[in-house]
Amino acid sequence: MTNTELKQSRDLLHQQVEAILPEVETVIGWTQGYDPIHTTPTFVRDAKAISRLTWNSFCSQNLTGYLVKTPAIQPQDRAKKIAVCVKGCDSRSLVALIQEKFVSRDSLYILGFPCQGVIDWRRVMQKLPVGNIRAARVEDGQLAVEHDGGFQRLELQDVLARKCLRCAHPNPLIHDIVIGAQVPPRVLIDKAYGDVEELEQRSLAERLDFWRSELDRCMRCYACRNACPLCVCQERCIAETREPKWLTQYMSISEKVFFHFIHALHLAGRCTECGECERVCPMGIPVALMKEGLNKIVRELFGYEAGVDLEAVPPLLTFTPDEAGI
Amino acid sequence: MSIANSGSGTVSNQGIKIVGFLCNWCSYGGADTAGVCRFKQPADLRIIRIPCTGRMDPLFAAKALIYGADGVLVSGCHPRDCHYAVGNLYARRRLEVLQHFLPFMGIEPRRFRYTWVSASEGQLWQQVVTEFSDQVQKLGPNPGVGNLLTEEGHR
Amino acid sequence: MRIGVFICHCGTNIAGTVDVEAVAREALRYPGVVYATTYMYTCSEPGQEEIQRAISDHKLQGVVVAACSPRMHEPTFRRTVGKAGLNPFLFEMANIREHVSWIGSDREANTRKAQELVHMAVAKLNFNQPLFSTKVPINKRVLVIGAGVAGIQAALDCAEGGLDVVLVERQPTIGGKMAKLDKTFPTVDCSSCILGPKMVDTAQKENITLYAASEVESVSGYVGNFTVQIRKKATYVDWKLCTGCGLCTEKCPAKNVPDAFNEKLGKTRAINIPFPQAIPKKATINREYCRHFIKGKCGVCKKICPVDAINYEMEDEIVTEEVGAIVAATGFDLFDHSVYGEYGGGRYPDVISGLQYERILSASGPFGGHIRRPSDDREPKNVVFIACVGSRDKSVDRPYCSGVCCMVIAKQAILTRDHLPESNSYVFYMDIRSPAKNYDEFVRRAQEEYGVQYIRGRVGKIYPRGDQMVVQGADTLLGVQVEIEADLVVLASGLEASEGAKQLAEKLRISYDQYGFYMESHPKLRPVETNTAGVYLAGVCQGPKDIPAAVGQGSAAASKVQALFARGTIETNPQVALVNERVCISCGKCIDVCPFTAIQWKELRGGIRKAEVLATVCQGCGLCNATCPPKAVQLQHATDDQILAEVNALL
Repeated sequence: MTNTELKQSRDLLHQQVEAILPEVETVIGWTQGYDPIHTTPTFVRDAKAISRLTWNSFCSQNLTGYLVKTPAIQPQDRAKKIAVCVKGCDSRSLVALIQEKFVSRDSLYILGFPCQGVIDWRRVMQKLPVGNIRAARVEDGQLAVEHDGGFQRLELQDVLARKCLRCAHPNPLIHDIVIGAQVPPRVLIDKAYGDVEELEQRSLAERLDFWRSELDRCMRCYACRNACPLCVCQERCIAETREPKWLTQYMSISEKVFFHFIHALHLAGRCTECGECERVCPMGIPVALMKEGLNKIVRELFGYEAGVDLEAVPPLLTFTPDEAGI
Repeated sequence: MSIANSGSGTVSNQGIKIVGFLCNWCSYGGADTAGVCRFKQPADLRIIRIPCTGRMDPLFAAKALIYGADGVLVSGCHPRDCHYAVGNLYARRRLEVLQHFLPFMGIEPRRFRYTWVSASEGQLWQQVVTEFSDQVQKLGPNPGVGNLLTEEGHR
Repeated sequence: MRIGVFICHCGTNIAGTVDVEAVAREALRYPGVVYATTYMYTCSEPGQEEIQRAISDHKLQGVVVAACSPRMHEPTFRRTVGKAGLNPFLFEMANIREHVSWIGSDREANTRKAQELVHMAVAKLNFNQPLFSTKVPINKRVLVIGAGVAGIQAALDCAEGGLDVVLVERQPTIGGKMAKLDKTFPTVDCSSCILGPKMVDTAQKENITLYAASEVESVSGYVGNFTVQIRKKATYVDWKLCTGCGLCTEKCPAKNVPDAFNEKLGKTRAINIPFPQAIPKKATINREYCRHFIKGKCGVCKKICPVDAINYEMEDEIVTEEVGAIVAATGFDLFDHSVYGEYGGGRYPDVISGLQYERILSASGPFGGHIRRPSDDREPKNVVFIACVGSRDKSVDRPYCSGVCCMVIAKQAILTRDHLPESNSYVFYMDIRSPAKNYDEFVRRAQEEYGVQYIRGRVGKIYPRGDQMVVQGADTLLGVQVEIEADLVVLASGLEASEGAKQLAEKLRISYDQYGFYMESHPKLRPVETNTAGVYLAGVCQGPKDIPAAVGQGSAAASKVQALFARGTIETNPQVALVNERVCISCGKCIDVCPFTAIQWKELRGGIRKAEVLATVCQGCGLCNATCPPKAVQLQHATDDQILAEVNALL
C-alpha cells in the first residue's frame, strides 16, 4: 500500500467509526504502538478518541480474541453493538466464533481491511543493529527503516510474518464495510501448506527431533493458548486443572509435548490459521505449524476449511455415516 | 492353518505394553468371546473398558504414546452398529485425524491402531491382537518423546 | 480409601495359568490396598460371604475382584458389596480369565499381566465415587412391531396380563407368513384354522390397538418412556366404513394385478382384500395398478361401494403413541432363488419357491387348492423338491441353516400325495434336520407311508425338455448321477431377514448381524432381550425358527415386558453424565453431539446458561465427555480421572 492509499484508508476508517458510534458502544481497533513497527489494540468509546485508530502493515494483532474472552467489553446497553477491525485472516476467526455460537452476527459491526501482509517485528530486529527505530514504512516491496544507525531497506519476503507468506484469504470473508481495495491472494489454498510439506519430506526420526528441540524451549506460559481467539476455556483449560488431572506442571519434555497435543487437537478442524499463537510465543516456537499440519489432514480427509462458511459445522463435531475420505 | 488352531501364541517380549481401549458392548464382548473360545493371543495387551468408542478422547491415546506405551489399540462396534447409535461415527473421524497427526509430530503411527470388532467376532479379535502385538514387538520398546528418567529424574 | 483385593482361582480356569498367590501378594503394594487374598470360586455363596466378612473385618471402603469378565459377574459382586453396606459403585473388576488365563499359557507373562490389570483396577477404584440411582415411572403400554404369529402371541399374552398393546403391521392384514401356509408340520393342522382364532382375538381384544398397513416411522425416548411415531399408509379406503363385503373387488376392471399374497402366482384386482380370513377384513387399493391413479379414469369401486368408503384423496397419516416397552417381531422374507442361474434364474414358471407351492396347496390359493403347474394348468405327475436353496451355501453368502425347510418339504410331499394319489414326489437333500417332538417320525412317515423318494445329493442343473423340467442331480448313497423328468420343481428357499429390518433396527437402536437378524443380548441365556433396555425380540427376526419356537419367543418376550412393568417404576442407571457448572463454558458442543438429546440448557441468573444432563434420558455413552473442551461434563464411573488412572498405572 502506498502512503496515499494508507491515508485514504485511515480517513475512511475514522469517518465510518464516527458514523456508527451511536449504535456501537465499543470499537476495537489498532493504534500506534511504542515504536514505529508496533501497534497496540485500542478500545474507542467516544468520538474524541477516534483519531487514534490507525491502519498499516504493522497491525498484526487479531482483535477478535477480545470478543469472547474479555467480558468487560460487552455492551452495557444490550441494544448496542461492538465494532471490530479485522484483516482477512482475522475475519475467518469471526466466522468460526459465529459458527460455534460464541458471538452472534447481529451483535457485531465488522470493519474489514484487505491486507497485503503484516510485518513480524522479531524478523526486523534480527536484521537491524541494536538501537531505536525512528521511522518505518512499506514501499515498493520493501520495508524502509530509519533507525539510530542509519537507513536500511529490507526485502518484504524476509520480514513479513510466516503466516502472510502463505496467505490464501487476504480479503475479509465477512464484513459490514470494506476499507481499501481487494488484494489478490499470495497463494491458492491447496498450495498453502508448503511449510507442512517440507516437514513431511523429512523422516519420522527427523520430525521427532525437530519437535523435541523446538518444544523443549516451551515454558508453558500458555501465551499461545491465551492469544488464540477460539481457545475460550481460559483458566478452566485442562492443561492446568487438577480435576481432571491431564498434566502435571513438571518441566519435562513429555509434559510440554502433551500440552501442545491438547492445544492442537482441541483446535483440529477449528483453527483458522490466524497465526496469533506463533506471534505471541516468547520463545519463537513455530506453534502454528502444528495446527497447519492438522488442518492439512482435515482438508484431505473431509475437504473442510475452517472459518469460511458460516453454516458449516467443524468436522470433528459431526460425522457422515459413510466416510468417503477415510 | 487357521489362526484359531495355531500354537501357543507368541512368547511376549519382556515389558512390551499395549494399552487397549475397548467399547463395552462390542469389542470387549468380542475379546470375551475370544477368551471363551480359548483363541490364543500374545499377552501384551492391557484392556481398559469404556462404554463406547465415542467416549474415546484421542488425547488418551496420545498421552499413552507420549509417555511410553509401546502400542495403543482402540476397538469398537462396527459403524452403524453402535450400541449408542452414533458414538463410533464420531470416534472414527477423531481417531483417523490422530492416526495422521502422530507421524507429523514424529511419533511412529504403527504404534496406534483403531478397529471395529463386534461381540461375536472372537476370531477377528484374536487376529487383530496377534497382528498388532507382532507389529509393535517388531518396532521395539517405545522411548516416548523424552527419556523421562535421565532428563529430569522423575516422571 | 481402604481397598480389599480378591483374586479368584475360578477352580483351575484362572489358577491353571496364573499364579494367583503372587498376584495377591503384589496387590498389597498398590495405593490404598490394605487386604488381599485369593479364593477358589469367588462368585459362589461362600465366596461372596468371604468378601462381605472382609469388608466388615478390615473396614474396607472399596473392593477389587480379579476374576472373570465384568460382563459376567459385575452385577453379582455389586450386589454382594451392596449388601455389606458399601455403595455398589465402589467396586471394580479385573478380567484375568477371558483376557488372560484363557488366551495364553505362559505362566510368567500371564501373572505379570494379571498383576498389572489388578493395579489398573485399584488405581481406577481410588477415583470412584458412590453413585445412586433414581426411580422413574413406567408407561405400562407395549408396542409390538409385526403381527405374524410371534407378534400376535406377544400381543395376546401382554393383553391377557392387562397391559395396553399397540400392534403395528406393515401389510394390510395380520397373520404374517403363517397365514400363507396351507398346513403346518408335524400335525398337518390347517394353518388358518389354528391361527384364525388368535387373529380374531387380536382384533377383538379391547386393550389391543391394531394399526395394519402401517409402519414405525421413528422412535425416541428410553425404557419406560418411549415415544413412537407410526405412519398409517394410505389405503384409499376408509376402514372405519368398509365392511369387507368384497363388491369392489368383484367389479374392479383392473384384473391383471400380480397377487402378492399368493406370492405372485395368479392374478387379483387393483382393489382387494388379501384373503378371505384377512384381519382387518378391509379393502386396499394398490395404487400402482389402479386405473384411477394411472389414467385418471374409472372410479367403479367408488360408485359401487354401498357405504361410500372409497377415498382417492387419502394421505398417509402419522400417529404418535407412547409406550414403555417395544417387542420387535418383524419375521422374514424368502431368499430370492433367481440368483441360482443353474436352477433357471427365476425364469421357469414351473420352478417355484416353497411358499409359492404352499399357496398352490391352499384352498384359498390361486388354483383353489388343486395342484396345477403354473405354466399350463396341468396336474403334475412328478414333483421334485430341492432342499437347501439359499441355505448352507457360502457362495451366496448364506452359510446358515434355515431350520424349517426339511420339515416343510416332508409336509409338502405328504400333501402332494394326498391331493394327487397318482403322483411321484422326489426330494434331493443333504441332511435331514427334524429335531423336535414327532418331527423325525413325520419325516419317516413321508418316506415309508407316503412313498416319497429321498435322494441324498445336490442338484446341479434344471433345464426344460419339452413341457417338463429335467432335474440333474447326484445320488451320493448309490454313487450315481440321477436325472428326473419333473413336471414341477419346488425349491426350499431359505429364510432371510425381512426387508427393511436394518432400517428399523437403527430406529430402535438395536444391533443386527451380517444377515440382518437382530442380535439378542446373549445367544444362550437371553434370547429375547436386546442390549437396548426396553426392546425385546420374538420370532424369526432373531433367527430362523419354526412356529412353536416363534410362539414360544412371543410369550417369552411378553413375560419380559410384564416383569419390566411389574414394579411400576424403573431404577435409572446412575452411570450417566454430570456437568460441573463452574467449569462449563456454555459452548453447547455437548448438546449438539448427544445422540439422545439428553442435554439441555439450564438458565442461571444474569442471563448465563450452563449445560445440564437429563439423568433419565442419558444412556451413558460419554460422547459429551470426549467432546467437551474443558471437560466440564464427566461420565460418572468412566471419568477422565478414572481412565487416566488406569493409563498411568500401566506406564
